Amino acid sequence: MARSRTSVRNQIRTLRFHCGEMTQQQLADQIGVTRQTVNAIEGGKYSPSLEVAFRISRVFDKPLEEVFQFVAASG
Amino acid sequence: MDTSFEEKSVWVQLVGLVVGLGGYLIVAGLMVSNGVSALPAFVPVFAVAIALVVAINIAGHVVAAVASQSIEADERDRLIGCRAESQSSWILGVGVIGAIVALILSVSGVWVAHLLLVSLFGSEVARGVLQIVHYRRGI
Repeated sequence: MARSRTSVRNQIRTLRFHCGEMTQQQLADQIGVTRQTVNAIEGGKYSPSLEVAFRISRVFDKPLEEVFQFVAASG
Repeated sequence: MDTSFEEKSVWVQLVGLVVGLGGYLIVAGLMVSNGVSALPAFVPVFAVAIALVVAINIAGHVVAAVASQSIEADERDRLIGCRAESQSSWILGVGVIGAIVALILSVSGVWVAHLLLVSLFGSEVARGVLQIVHYRRGI
């Protein structure tokens, strides 16, 4: 698993799976970003804006906290 | 390599800059070392370099657009662009201050012009490289 560069974890891959294997492109089209940005968010390489985060949670019909989790840095 | 149109565009701009302006700076350096000191003598070479930069950019962006599903920039592209610019713009600033100092010291116009050009080149190349680093490593 690739090391995340952000403190925000997400369940987008799992949620896409439970949405009939929704593709990254389909999700990207619904939230108004590129597929590469969805890929970066999933891989923990980019923390989306609040607006995009809310759009993603709305697509999956889940509360924001079920899609994104903040992981505080240890130490 | 999985890249958005914006990332492809950065690569095209970087190649255009390095080939066009980089090539010009090499030729200009050779001209200066051969004793050319009149600014107008550099103009035809510079015009060819700019034409090369424009041609590479047009051709590269056409290919990038054909190879991409969408050509619209999103929030990640804009953030990466802003961050790379804020991290690289100091190079141009140093060049401008250096050019002002050079003018105060009555340095030849050829050197002042090329100091500005080198700082612009360095700033733009640094911006492109930083953008690619941010795209690849994450932001």
